[in-house]
Amino acid sequence: MPIKKRGTGLTAVADAWQLADIDVTASYPIRPYTAVMAEVAKRIANGQMKCEMVHGEGEHAQFSIAHGASMAGARATTGSSGVGVTYAFEVYSPIAGGRCPIQALVGDRTLDPPGDFGSEHTDCLTLRDNGWIYGWAENAQESLDNSLMYFRIGEDPDIMLPQIVAMDGYFVTHIAQEYEMPDQEQVDKFLPPFRPQFRLDVNNPVIMGPQIEPEMGPPLEWDRNVVMDRVKAKIAAVTEEFGKVFGRKYAPFVEEYMTEDADMVFLLQGAHAITCRSAIKYLREAGYKVGMCRLRWFRPFPDMALKQILPKFKVVGVIDTNTSYGASGGGGVLLVETRAAVSELANKPMIQGFTSGLGGETITHEEFFKMAEMMRETLRAGRIIQDSTWVNFNDYVEGASEVKAAQQEVAQTKE
Amino acid sequence: MAVAEMIKSIAQAPEKEYYLPGHRTCAGCGPALAYRLIAKAAGKNTIFIGPTGCMYVANTSYACGPWAVPWTHAQITNGGAVGSGIEAAFKMMIKKGKIQDEFPNIIVMAGDGGAIDIGLQAASAMMYRGHDVLFVMYDNESYANTGIQTSPATPYGATTMFTPAGPEIPEAKKFFPKDPMALFCGGGHPEVKYGATASVSYPIDLMNKVRKGLAYEGPAFLHVQCPCPKGWTFPADRTVELGKLAVEVGMWFLYELENGVKKFSYTPKKLKPVEEYLQTQGRFSHLQPEHIAKLQAWVNAKAQNLGLEVPLPPVR
Ligand SMILES: Cc1ncc(C[n+]2csc(CCOP(=O)(O)OP(=O)(O)O)c2C)c(N)n1
Ligand code: SF4
Ligand SMILES: [Mg+2]
Repeated sequence: MPIKKRGTGLTAVADAWQLADIDVTASYPIRPYTAVMAEVAKRIANGQMKCEMVHGEGEHAQFSIAHGASMAGARATTGSSGVGVTYAFEVYSPIAGGRCPIQALVGDRTLDPPGDFGSEHTDCLTLRDNGWIYGWAENAQESLDNSLMYFRIGEDPDIMLPQIVAMDGYFVTHIAQEYEMPDQEQVDKFLPPFRPQFRLDVNNPVIMGPQIEPEMGPPLEWDRNVVMDRVKAKIAAVTEEFGKVFGRKYAPFVEEYMTEDADMVFLLQGAHAITCRSAIKYLREAGYKVGMCRLRWFRPFPDMALKQILPKFKVVGVIDTNTSYGASGGGGVLLVETRAAVSELANKPMIQGFTSGLGGETITHEEFFKMAEMMRETLRAGRIIQDSTWVNFNDYVEGASEVKAAQQEVAQTKE
Repeated sequence: MAVAEMIKSIAQAPEKEYYLPGHRTCAGCGPALAYRLIAKAAGKNTIFIGPTGCMYVANTSYACGPWAVPWTHAQITNGGAVGSGIEAAFKMMIKKGKIQDEFPNIIVMAGDGGAIDIGLQAASAMMYRGHDVLFVMYDNESYANTGIQTSPATPYGATTMFTPAGPEIPEAKKFFPKDPMALFCGGGHPEVKYGATASVSYPIDLMNKVRKGLAYEGPAFLHVQCPCPKGWTFPADRTVELGKLAVEVGMWFLYELENGVKKFSYTPKKLKPVEEYLQTQGRFSHLQPEHIAKLQAWVNAKAQNLGLEVPLPPVR
């Protein structure tokens, strides 16, 4: 029987890893992801999990250890946060190119400088060109469910790709919440054992990762490119099957919230969606026809889904909880990707960017209200007024500056 | 500990090869010879991990490789870590009954750069954690694959692409090399019970040290000198001769450290002057008498530190 639990995104993934009977995991401490390793260590110590936990001497080693374990045929995991994610950079492409479907948990974290524990998506987004598949979960339940779905998708013989279960640091990694832990029987029905076609086996020797000549590279890269397309169909099928087995239904790529009659939508990923939904309820009462699109996957980027969904709206406000200094449009990574996804559509909406929630700040209701106000200005003007706006820094509408003035007044009266 | 089956003579060495022709290492390549002997000694139940270096690039051209046993590439940075992961996986999968394999010999074949420079962290951590892996440092005394640049194993006084000799720096390389045996087997890595130096010019000794290292449960370390005609600038038919000369002049010492006890595997009756060795290689051709004296003093000090009790040449 599935059991109701109270825990975090990290304990939820530890549950998923236990249910998936992982063989090897590689640890290194960095907040906020660390607690998943502490949890796994505890379960190994008390006999709940049978897994070799290798204490890596850094993130570069963590990912390398998991890589080696995967080549030997083991189901292997690891994880990190912030500068830990970037410290391992060398090995992401070799793992994906070697088609080793390890799973990593990233509890995202602002990159230095300055040292800041707070959530930001930049760390994990820097991996976007390395051939890993990943997306952000918005709560503990989705973290657990994503972990199981990702194993299933990544280890599929037609796919064989490493995955990252990404989640917002603290918001998902540390806030205690209710979730359901599936039972072993359900998981065994959904997730077959990992049996790669090739592994390091002395009775069937193979050579992995040999040097090649220049003309031999492109076909391999083409294959990595094609599989990224192939994985989309697999995601759709597995998400559907997951719903049948576990009774939780997810939109495969993009969750829509209050979009039926919306003329404008927020587009984002991760846990800020929770605040966004409640802000939308207030905005709706105030007469804004606004909704939300939440990306469940970042790689592969759900461009086909967005091509279908976004033309329904007049204005899309992309919220980037990341930085990509100097990027096209002056915003973050999601703005660039979203604009590119629909750029060739005749009936595409106006797409503007917002940067918010950096450094681990919550995106408050007020900030959602300001963004909605700015999007309404865009709607009225019938054109993009400002490509991208750092909320609270260069807001461009009266409404928003009114909020600012009101806040200043409050601050003054407090003095 | 399993008991290693020792090889008594070349005639008794196994005929079967696991490192076969069909690669494009230079003629006379010392590391290639080391690979052949190590693979032969280790046998069929072996997995090799090859960090980037000549023994990756020159061996696996055109997506082929000369091994008859499983081999995988690792980055130049992470041979020790990839080896650790493979070892942990086999241990756990065998324990859980997920595979029926016999636990394999796991051997990392790292160059000097991949062992004691950019790969040092991963090597050290693998040994610290006690993984049952044989870490071989095949030492050609330079970053060879990138065109011969200085590494922490390059001898004092050698020219490399990054250490040319010139009026301002007449001796070329200024620093003395790191001591890998002291690094890994000097007590700083308590799980390492067996470490040894070896040379391609002493094949029986090398093969037996491979077997001994593998027989130990836990990490073992082998530091193998492998003359490199290209990097050291000498004719390709003198590789084995040079490896022997290195031992005769004390630019290489053959010994084991087994459970903390040192044992020389071979000792010359007396050390020849180091100059005899320097003369054989273009990389030392610029050295002046004062540099040679400095190197001789270093050789003598090293011999004394190791406890080699043979007559030493004078430092002039
Ligand atoms: C991270 C990284 N930096 C640099 C290189 C370039 N590189 C390729 S082979 C090599 C030399 C390796 O030297 P060593 O480990 O001594 O092996 P050798 O080539 O001498 O056999 C280097 C530096 C690399 N592959 N990866
Ligand atoms: S450069 Fe040296 S180590 Fe590299 S293949 Fe040639 S001889 Fe061998
Ligand atoms: Mg070298």
